[in-house]
Amino acid sequence: MTTPALELTDIEYKYRRNVALRGVSLQINPGEIVAITGASGCGKSTLLHCAAGILTPDAGAVRVNGQELASLSADDRAALRRTQIGVVLQFGQLVPDVKLVDNVALPLLLAGHSRSEAHVQALEWLKQVGIEGEADAVPAELSGGQNQRAAVARALVTGPSIVLADEPTGSLDSRAGKELLEVLVQAARYRGTALVMVTHDNLVAASATREIRLRDGVVQHEVVL
Amino acid sequence: MATAELVLGLLSGGPAHGYDVKRGHDAWFPDSRPLAFGQVYTTLGRLERDGLVEVVEKTSGGGPDRTVYALTGKGRDHLTDWLTDPVPPAWGNADEILRKLVAAVRTGGDAAAFVARQRASHLRRIRELQDNPAEQDPTSPIVRDYIVAHLDADLRWLDGALDRISQQEVSE
Repeated sequence: MTTPALELTDIEYKYRRNVALRGVSLQINPGEIVAITGASGCGKSTLLHCAAGILTPDAGAVRVNGQELASLSADDRAALRRTQIGVVLQFGQLVPDVKLVDNVALPLLLAGHSRSEAHVQALEWLKQVGIEGEADAVPAELSGGQNQRAAVARALVTGPSIVLADEPTGSLDSRAGKELLEVLVQAARYRGTALVMVTHDNLVAASATREIRLRDGVVQHEVVL
Repeated sequence: MATAELVLGLLSGGPAHGYDVKRGHDAWFPDSRPLAFGQVYTTLGRLERDGLVEVVEKTSGGGPDRTVYALTGKGRDHLTDWLTDPVPPAWGNADEILRKLVAAVRTGGDAAAFVARQRASHLRRIRELQDNPAEQDPTSPIVRDYIVAHLDADLRWLDGALDRISQQEVSE
């Protein structure tokens, strides 16, 4: 049996007195493309942030490639997050005033790669996402679409087994969004990366192989596409 | 047209005559065109011929003809199958989705499950259209955009419908 790339079991999360997730369980297999959908406030972003280790659930377990995050030391957990999980947020969250190539190289440097090696791989990924000509530009000099492509390159540069994307095309026009989606989907199809996208956009959800719909912090339905 | 299946749905609560079926239909779809009596009786006749409904009472005399129809087992199976299958996501099929959804809610079917299947069917169709580039003639991309935009509109309407159904389930 294949070990799921990501497994969430009975995840609960509260923001003070507001319960955002009420016992959500799901499994994502390698190479799967999953759309998490649902109305605003249904808990979909919270779920993604719990999966990414950005938030720590109040109850339940998060396993990445079979390893439970809570069972790891803080250092091992951070290392696993850096190497196995790529995260793309709606507005890229690149480091301002830092060249694109250095932004993309950052996860490799944190993982202990040499500067020259990280630089070479970052350039390769900028090429893969079609913006190698902008390697020396800083985020403020570029369009939202170009920044989002760099964010995708940064998420993929370590060769993660899972990419978690929160409204990855939400800040882009339809054409730039479509092109960015293509980069993410190709990574999942050809590299076996599990891709989990939180989206309210049906045209993005249509790229998935499975839809998981949340309502009020629980899974409302799950359908194979 | 799914008038035949709607008539089956209207009879699923118990035997009724044609007038009740027509009034029931118009109550289900208050903002649309009323069902014509002629169409009701033609449809009931066809359903009876096909063994999906049967006449359980017939009185005639001074007043109007009072034929009472009931769903047969075959008719109930046909209705269940119809409510289970999503509508092919093709041009102009949105009315059929509305009919099924209303019938599912009104007859106590699993409307949320129907919406989930219909969402999946629509999303698959959008993916097919996105994966296969349109012909590069002057109009194919325009037609493609039209279809995708309408499927997207159906999906947004289905989302709202799903929320309403879920709220009703919670409040009941």
